[in-house]
Amino acid sequence: MGPAPAGEQLPEATWKSKAMEPALESTGKERKKATSRKRAVPGSPVEGFLQPVKLSQEELYKEPTNEELNRLRETEILFHSSLLRLQVEELLKEVKLSEKKKDRIDAFLREVNQRVMRVPSISERELTDQAWLPAGVRVPLHQVPYTVKGCFCFMPPAQVTVVGSYLLGTCIRPDINVDLALTMPREILQDKDGLNQRYFRKRALYLAHLAHHLAQDPLFGSVRFSYTNGCHLKPSLLLRPHGKDERLVTIRLHPCPPPDFFRPCRLLPAKNNVRSAWYQGQSLAEDGSPEPPTPHYNTWILQDVALESHVQFLSTTLGSTQGLKDGVALLKVWLRQRELSKGLGGFSGFLVSMLVAFLVSTRKIHSTMSGYQVLRNVLQFLATTDLTVNGISLCLSSDPSLPALADFHQAFSVVFVDSSGRLNLCADVTASTYHQVQHEARLSMALLDSKADDAFQLLLMTPKPMIRAFDHILHLHPLSRLQAACHRLKLWPELQDNGGDYVSAALGPLTTLLEQGLGSRLHLLVHSRPPVLEWDISQDPPKHKDSGSLALGLLLRPEGLTSVLELGPEADQPEAAEFRQFWGSRSELRRFQDGAIREAVVWEAASMSQKRLIPHQVVTHLLALHADIPETCVHYVGGLLDSLIQGFKQTSSTGEEALAAAVRCYDDLSRLLWGLEGLPLTVSAVQGAHPVLRYTEVFPPTPVRPVSSFYKHLRERASLLPRPDKPCPAYVEPMTVVCHLEGSGQWPQDAEAVRRVRAAFQLRLAELLTQQHGLQCRATATHTDVLKDGFVFRIRVAYQREPQILREMRSPEGMISLRDTPASLRLERDTRQLPLLTSALHGLQQQHPAFSGVARLAKRWVRAQLLGEGFTDESLDLVAAALFLHPEPFTPPSSPQVGFIRFLFLLSTFDWKNNPLIVNLNNELTAEEQAEIRSGFLAARTQLPIMVIITPQDRKSSLWTQDGPSAQILQQLVVLAAEALPILEKQLMDPRDSGDIRTVFRPPLDLYDVLIRLSPRHIPRHRQAVDSPAASFCRGLLREPGPSSLMPVLGYDPPQLYLAQLREAFGHLALFFYDQHGGEVIGVLWKPTSFQPQPFKASSTKGRMVVSQGGELGTVPNVEAILEDFAVLGEGLVQAVEARSERWTV
Amino acid sequence: MVARRRKRAARDAEEGIPSPPGYSAIPIKFSEKQQASHYLYLRAHSVREGTKSTWPQKRTLFILNVPPYCTEECLSRLLSPCGPIQSVELQEKPDLAESSKEPKSKFFHPNPVLGFQVAYVVFQKPGGVLAALTLKGPLLVSTESHPVKSGVHKWISDYADSVPDPEALRLEVDSFMEAYDQKIAEEEAKAKEEEGVPDDEGWVKVTRRSRRPVLPRTEAASLRVLEREKQKRARKELLNFYAWQHRETKMEHLAQLRKKFEEDKQRIELMRAQRKFRPY
Repeated sequence: MGPAPAGEQLPEATWKSKAMEPALESTGKERKKATSRKRAVPGSPVEGFLQPVKLSQEELYKEPTNEELNRLRETEILFHSSLLRLQVEELLKEVKLSEKKKDRIDAFLREVNQRVMRVPSISERELTDQAWLPAGVRVPLHQVPYTVKGCFCFMPPAQVTVVGSYLLGTCIRPDINVDLALTMPREILQDKDGLNQRYFRKRALYLAHLAHHLAQDPLFGSVRFSYTNGCHLKPSLLLRPHGKDERLVTIRLHPCPPPDFFRPCRLLPAKNNVRSAWYQGQSLAEDGSPEPPTPHYNTWILQDVALESHVQFLSTTLGSTQGLKDGVALLKVWLRQRELSKGLGGFSGFLVSMLVAFLVSTRKIHSTMSGYQVLRNVLQFLATTDLTVNGISLCLSSDPSLPALADFHQAFSVVFVDSSGRLNLCADVTASTYHQVQHEARLSMALLDSKADDAFQLLLMTPKPMIRAFDHILHLHPLSRLQAACHRLKLWPELQDNGGDYVSAALGPLTTLLEQGLGSRLHLLVHSRPPVLEWDISQDPPKHKDSGSLALGLLLRPEGLTSVLELGPEADQPEAAEFRQFWGSRSELRRFQDGAIREAVVWEAASMSQKRLIPHQVVTHLLALHADIPETCVHYVGGLLDSLIQGFKQTSSTGEEALAAAVRCYDDLSRLLWGLEGLPLTVSAVQGAHPVLRYTEVFPPTPVRPVSSFYKHLRERASLLPRPDKPCPAYVEPMTVVCHLEGSGQWPQDAEAVRRVRAAFQLRLAELLTQQHGLQCRATATHTDVLKDGFVFRIRVAYQREPQILREMRSPEGMISLRDTPASLRLERDTRQLPLLTSALHGLQQQHPAFSGVARLAKRWVRAQLLGEGFTDESLDLVAAALFLHPEPFTPPSSPQVGFIRFLFLLSTFDWKNNPLIVNLNNELTAEEQAEIRSGFLAARTQLPIMVIITPQDRKSSLWTQDGPSAQILQQLVVLAAEALPILEKQLMDPRDSGDIRTVFRPPLDLYDVLIRLSPRHIPRHRQAVDSPAASFCRGLLREPGPSSLMPVLGYDPPQLYLAQLREAFGHLALFFYDQHGGEVIGVLWKPTSFQPQPFKASSTKGRMVVSQGGELGTVPNVEAILEDFAVLGEGLVQAVEARSERWTV
Repeated sequence: MVARRRKRAARDAEEGIPSPPGYSAIPIKFSEKQQASHYLYLRAHSVREGTKSTWPQKRTLFILNVPPYCTEECLSRLLSPCGPIQSVELQEKPDLAESSKEPKSKFFHPNPVLGFQVAYVVFQKPGGVLAALTLKGPLLVSTESHPVKSGVHKWISDYADSVPDPEALRLEVDSFMEAYDQKIAEEEAKAKEEEGVPDDEGWVKVTRRSRRPVLPRTEAASLRVLEREKQKRARKELLNFYAWQHRETKMEHLAQLRKKFEEDKQRIELMRAQRKFRPY
């Protein structure tokens, strides 16, 4: 029961040695486990820090060896920097297969080969007669329609060959797969097997028989079915070793036809191999119309045929050049991080290898290039080439019988023809997927060109799941609705081609439909690929609808979002009919101001948050109109978090409008100030210095209209006062505005006198504003409060030279030197840096309309975790700004939701110990300056706060994080963010689970020693709580403008006043945590070090008492009296004080 | 907790309240309602020979651990039974000197929030100190007859007090500035008088206001001069002119690369330790 949290109360100076151990360790095992799992904290604490490098003079300047010079030159030519080179080498070491494992896999492969060859044959029988199949095995194929003519018999494969990346040495961890091609003996197949899925039926039966026999072998840990690349006509058999090697490798068996069995000319893209008569179960088409081509079906057969030749081709090209192989491995990592390589129609590792081979053949890549250069060149190629328009081909022959590229374009959306000239390698890749690849390649190239320090990290180590990468996500669920959609969209030929896979068939037309409808609002639309499922051999293969839901990700274009109008052609144009047909009943004729009468669609959206959700309206309307997908099947994830920053009773807006109204009022006020007559010095500049004026106040202010009976009046000073017998009045925070005056030599040069003159200016300002503009004003020595249109502004007059005067120090010799003092720094911060920051962020909001929402959600979350007071407003705003200014590897967020998710991601992954967060406002810092800042940071690490945020205006000191957070608070926030992120992402990505989105906003309370419960009556912002109370108290406000023009009660927030008292009286004994937005609980954490008995000292008896322990006198905190003090100090506010732990017992 | 409290109460009754040598402890509570109490530690104020202290010896009582809700008036009322009191002063930490008598302007120095404090109580007679040391307590800060505000009531009255009176502020500013102007005018007159007049050793003082003003003696100015000198010298220097200069530049470049390489290696080492190279 000793004083517990070990990392909790460390003096500031020693945090570097011990801090960052998961703070608050003792708070329960679960939390601890989570921490250690999520963030592997390096073993010894000092190791976690980068030390400035110390090399002796001798070492630095010794003569270079040849080897060293060579390496340096190589680094310069082949890599971008030595750091990148080292990083790439490390990464490759990590993903490559070790020799030892290779040996084990090889041994296993030999075993497999023997077993497969020993599987007994069965005699010939009809394909439809499947009674011979043992009970434990099901055919891994949907046999629709069931009847197929033909016979099947089983014989061991004629040949077993290893194909794919394992042979090439480019397979990467995790999920090591070895592909084995089993060449079926010619006797199994018969003429015209390519027709009507007969080949695929035989292939499936072949696998079923194999599976039955292999499953009985104890060598294998698991024998399961899966689909080859997600293609549901082509199952494959997965074999995993038994015992501890189970995770080592997965062997995939792919049956394939003997070479030269199929006549290639029958499998060209324009040919039909699935007859409608057979597929639709009707007699021959009456009208004699030509059979539709089945390009995808043909490709799937061709893929099997070409398995071996592709491997041979790749091994001759990539063969023995290590650089190319490294490049392929890097590209695979790159694709994997972007979730592009998996599923049907993914941009697989095989495709990328082929692409490298293509670039080698066109001499764009040379075999001496390093892996990094290969990566770069491939990305460059992808970024600049559009394979949906200009396909590429590996085929060199000019045989006229081969189809032209244009023929391929007709049949497929993405074209990359292999060396045979007949097979499109990208047949399953949809246009959206390719555009996503292209988009990613472009982003990555921009990142590489920017020479950013952490390019490697962002490019290859940062995962980009859909929920984090796209602004809005849309789930279609259940998938069976797509079957109806296919019929509505008349996609019968596609269904026939895809063998009944309605998801794949509908995907292309649906994405095109939505892309057209979203038009200028959309930057990119991508779809999730159905995952490759695995199933037990005794089960039926999964249905198409079993692959969960289809998710579409929208990357929005912020400039297009603001328009509520879809402008169509003029009514008499022929396109008008088309437009009407596309938009259906939403299209209406409208007359515009320029006299034109046009077709148009108008969406209902009043506020910014509603405008952001117009894509939702568009999508549901178009899907219902054209694809028969009702609204209930569309689960749109775009504004689910909006409710957290919506004010009370303002469900239609997320506050951007209210903030803009406040800013407009401020603009009016500054105009008044500029035009003010009668001030001894004219106003030269008015600058905002409050979160409202940079759009980041969580709950924007509303105009105050006090009910006069609710307050006590102080008539002579025209002010309202709170009354003890009423609930606490509404909280009004004055918005700080800094007012600079023109320069003058008349100012006194003494700090005290300057303050008096400033006070005189404040008085005069109040007087003039009242006289000339009839505004209610109240002047104090440091500021003037002005009531304008219901908003209260706090004007602070600033004298430019005052910080300088505060800094001046006179040495004994009479030399005047300037030294920073706490007072001068504070003044400088409040009157110079804060306005600069405010205007920079105000500018950022104009560029990125989502900034406000992101920053406010982020602050709302941090405060809801009760950690708000550890962080300044500005520091959190800057972290949010970093998401927009340095979005790599993403694009700047266009919706608060994705921005908030990335905020959590940044918090949970950023290494604050070794990196400053550079927020390059207005792009003022050059790359060299940033490098300089980084090296300066390392040198001065020990003097800097734990969280360092650098801006162009503040390049050294990290002004906004100087007074906190402490290492422990930051660590706690990091842990909370790491916990919240997966929960939130899961909630948003799962359309079935409609869990409470506020879960991640509720703080854990079990870790506090004492909870102080407050009475809602005296919490003025009670309505802002995460779980907004159903009823609260009247706060003395009118709905309509009232007659009272008295100054409302300003900045009166009892919980804050209470906390200030608590911290002053007991700050040395405990930490206090509170959510300023309507929190009903104050969490108290005792500081364990102050609970050790200490010898009696006159200077440290605060709140302690003397006890004798074993005859010795010592002092310990007087906890019982302190607990009662909590109640005494907060009389009226405190409802209960709950001591929840006995950890303080000495 | 209750059990412990009872035990402690029993112990207190047996041994008396433990107190450090030289001090006596008096329990103090906010009001009757509270159960546990804080302890004031009292001692007669005395300093070692030779140390200066403005507090009168023998008559001053030094009190530690005064709770935040206990004001000077309160303390004065609680100790008045011991004898007539001359003054009570609360301070944040022990301080031998009395604070300056001049009252601070309430406009420019707002009341700070209070925590635990120490007090110096000066009695009119030395007997008061002795009487106070033997007080039994528990003292009550807030009683029926003299209630002390806390919580919401205190905050409301604080808020009312913080609403300033502009007229009073104006008066204070005016009087301060008048005094200040006068002081400046006097200084200037004095400077004017001394202008051009050599002192005892024949030195003439030259100031900003003199007929031929001089560079102000500030650190910034002297730095500026140094910087200008340095630039001038740098302009004259030839770069990569001699062979040795060339060699040295090359070597310097190499050294930079080596240093960078070392730094990078360290960074990699750290990332490896943090398993930053596992892309899954």
